[in-house]
Amino acid sequence: MSGGREIALPNGTPEPAPGMPAGDRRSRLLGGGRRSTWVAVASTVIFFTVAGFLIANSSGWPEVRRSFFDGEEFAYAFPEILEKFGRNVFIFTVAEILVLFMALFIAVLRSLTGPVFAPLRIMAAAYTDLFRGVPTVLVIALLGYGMPALQLRGLPDSDLFWAIIALTLVYSAYVAEVYRAGIESIHPSQVAAARSLGLTRGQSLRHVVIPQAVRRVIPPLLNDFIGLQKDSALIAFLGYTEALLRAQIIQAQDFNFTPYVALAVIYIAITIPQARFVDWLIARERTKRQGGGGL
Amino acid sequence: MTEAIRIAGLRKSFGALEVLRGIDLVVDDHEVVCLIGASGSGKSTLLRCIDLLEPVDAGRIWIEGDEVTAAGVDENAVRRRIGIVFQAFNLFPHMTVMRNVTLAQEKALGRSSPAARTKATELLGRFGLADKADDYPDRLSGGQQQRVAIARALAMDPDVMLLDEVTSALDPVLVAEVLDAIRELASAGMTMVIATHEMGFARDVAHRVAFLDEGRILEEGRPEQMFSEPREEPTRRFLDRIIAAGRM
Amino acid sequence: MRRWILVAAAMTLLAGACAEETPPADGDTPSETPAEDQTAAECTDEHEADLFAPDTLTIGTGNPAYKPWYGGTTEAGSDWKAGDFTGDPHSGEGYESAFAYALAEEMGFSSEQVEWVGVTFNRSFAPGPKDFDFAMQQISISPKREEAVDFSAGYFEVNQALIANEGSPAIGVTTLAGLQGLKLGAPIGSTSLQAIEELVQPTEEARAYPDLDLALKDLKNGQVDGVVVDFPTAFYGYADVVVGQFPDIGGEQEQFGLAFETDSSLVECANIAIETMRDDGTLDALKSEWLEVDTSVPTFS
Repeated sequence: MSGGREIALPNGTPEPAPGMPAGDRRSRLLGGGRRSTWVAVASTVIFFTVAGFLIANSSGWPEVRRSFFDGEEFAYAFPEILEKFGRNVFIFTVAEILVLFMALFIAVLRSLTGPVFAPLRIMAAAYTDLFRGVPTVLVIALLGYGMPALQLRGLPDSDLFWAIIALTLVYSAYVAEVYRAGIESIHPSQVAAARSLGLTRGQSLRHVVIPQAVRRVIPPLLNDFIGLQKDSALIAFLGYTEALLRAQIIQAQDFNFTPYVALAVIYIAITIPQARFVDWLIARERTKRQGGGGL
Repeated sequence: MTEAIRIAGLRKSFGALEVLRGIDLVVDDHEVVCLIGASGSGKSTLLRCIDLLEPVDAGRIWIEGDEVTAAGVDENAVRRRIGIVFQAFNLFPHMTVMRNVTLAQEKALGRSSPAARTKATELLGRFGLADKADDYPDRLSGGQQQRVAIARALAMDPDVMLLDEVTSALDPVLVAEVLDAIRELASAGMTMVIATHEMGFARDVAHRVAFLDEGRILEEGRPEQMFSEPREEPTRRFLDRIIAAGRM
Repeated sequence: MRRWILVAAAMTLLAGACAEETPPADGDTPSETPAEDQTAAECTDEHEADLFAPDTLTIGTGNPAYKPWYGGTTEAGSDWKAGDFTGDPHSGEGYESAFAYALAEEMGFSSEQVEWVGVTFNRSFAPGPKDFDFAMQQISISPKREEAVDFSAGYFEVNQALIANEGSPAIGVTTLAGLQGLKLGAPIGSTSLQAIEELVQPTEEARAYPDLDLALKDLKNGQVDGVVVDFPTAFYGYADVVVGQFPDIGGEQEQFGLAFETDSSLVECANIAIETMRDDGTLDALKSEWLEVDTSVPTFS
């Protein structure tokens, strides 16, 4: 496309501001413009049509389609799985609330300075290493099968209880690191300002550092929360029937994998709103604080 | 007149680098002392040491007659008595201006919420920022933010104010408003130690000027004497450079 | 604009995927009608091109292979996992192993011509080409499953039974209603779960386990009062007591079948073999040799 050739802009398009190149060159410079949009749409349509065509005409496609995308099976499995999914929601909601607090506690322990706090720092670091290292399903199995087997008086036996504890222990380790990154990203001058006003170390953490740190790490916090939502399915290992296990049961019974697709649909359906919510939160923080055209 | 600050033999190193090599200084109540000197001469470090933001390697410091470098001193209590304002404002970005000024009053001094707000409103009004109370710091200009920082420090009713090159980060246009605020404080009788590059301001407001050179107070005296007839050679060289740079 | 493009992309992908909708070939229509009175061996000869490996009958089964279906001991270096309750398909011991060799002989294979491969349960019916001729793993026949695989005729009639340990509240219960208040569990992939869900309809939901071992572990812990397994497995001593057996689910006798790839031409050959073995009493003989069952165990009413 040679430069300088004018495109007739439709009526109502505002004139370019003085000093701005007009027409076609303006589109290229600003990255927008009608022509490039049409090119984008056309190339996308062509690409996906070709891809869809190739997949649909591969020799194994009918079988794969029947096995993974069976409409009748989907209609049967979806309501059953959705019903059980309520249990997953309970598990990951309770666990996440516990995680958010416990992880903060561990992160604060790790960030304490001073030799007198060394044992606490070491314990917190060991905790993090341990629970990030051991596979989550193993922690669930150890607690879910091991604890009841110990037959200790006063300890609950319920699978639900131990699964939530296990998930909390594991995810607190990951989220503690996220918090820690957030805390360490707060410039020391903030702490200096807080201390200089006479606030104690604890008060500085509570009122100045942590509120800022948490706001900064909301995207990775959501990341870990989404991971937790998926891992709520691991309670299946204990025989507790939640959505994934229900899908597995139907799949084994009917020799068809479509129930898993149904479960995937449910997960995607809940993940997307959360992601958009976090995007909205971040945007709101930004406009709230930089509305006056930052310095 | 009582001594607000007494410093004897203060030494401070950062690793192998010795920044303060034996500082002796006395500041009386209601006195304004300006610290001048090249960058790296130790002005900031000195102020931070007085406020116990940095541990001292050697030497002793007294605030209003109490030795603050003694063992077992409650550092938080000391810091409540000293207000310090930094070059980089350091306002808390996640709080409104009002909250910035009331937070430490409530948490560190234990003032009630209404009392803290009243004090904050009075101070913000004094510096012409009453209408900014509910804004977040990002919406304020540098000069306004610095004045909030001053108000925030003043809200603690300190005995002494330390100002660490508080206008150095500002656009020249905004410097004046901050200097005016400080002038006002001085005329109200606040004891202050001010590290600054603004020589004209120092000449106006200081009772005494101290020149720091390589970690020591090389020379000090009344501003008229310091600026027109410095005794030491390094002082003269420093002032010449300042004049040549058009800053006086 | 970006949203626009996403919608367009999604629609074209869907359109492409839906466009080529060919109904899956119906596996129930054999391409050839077997000749009258053809033997299984003759049938196999005719279709030997369909064998996975030439001159070999390749059978897929689970690893580990549990008793009483697979007996004998695994030799050192064998692929098959050893354990107290597991066996080696190569041994010819255990109901399914013995049945497999008898079937192979009917179809014209010597015992050396039988190959075993370990397949997970899911692999026996997953789409795509298989690396075995059929899968045999106590797989129950059902119409829905017929869409994914081609089943042979049933080679074993099976019922489900409840096992429990000493002290369990399940012991002594004789009615389905009596089981409703209990905590029951079963391994996934078996009709055992269906038995619980459809016949008992317990007030507390049944536990479903990835495999038998974990079900038994919870039984030992007391987390469940009883575990449902197929009848022969119940007698193998995994637990203290066989409480009772269940009636047929859905009113139909459950049967194990061999799972072939859809449209496999070897299914008819296997069917001929199975019919022959049923008629001449081989199946019954295998049953009495390898499966100790106490038919006096009561059926839940």
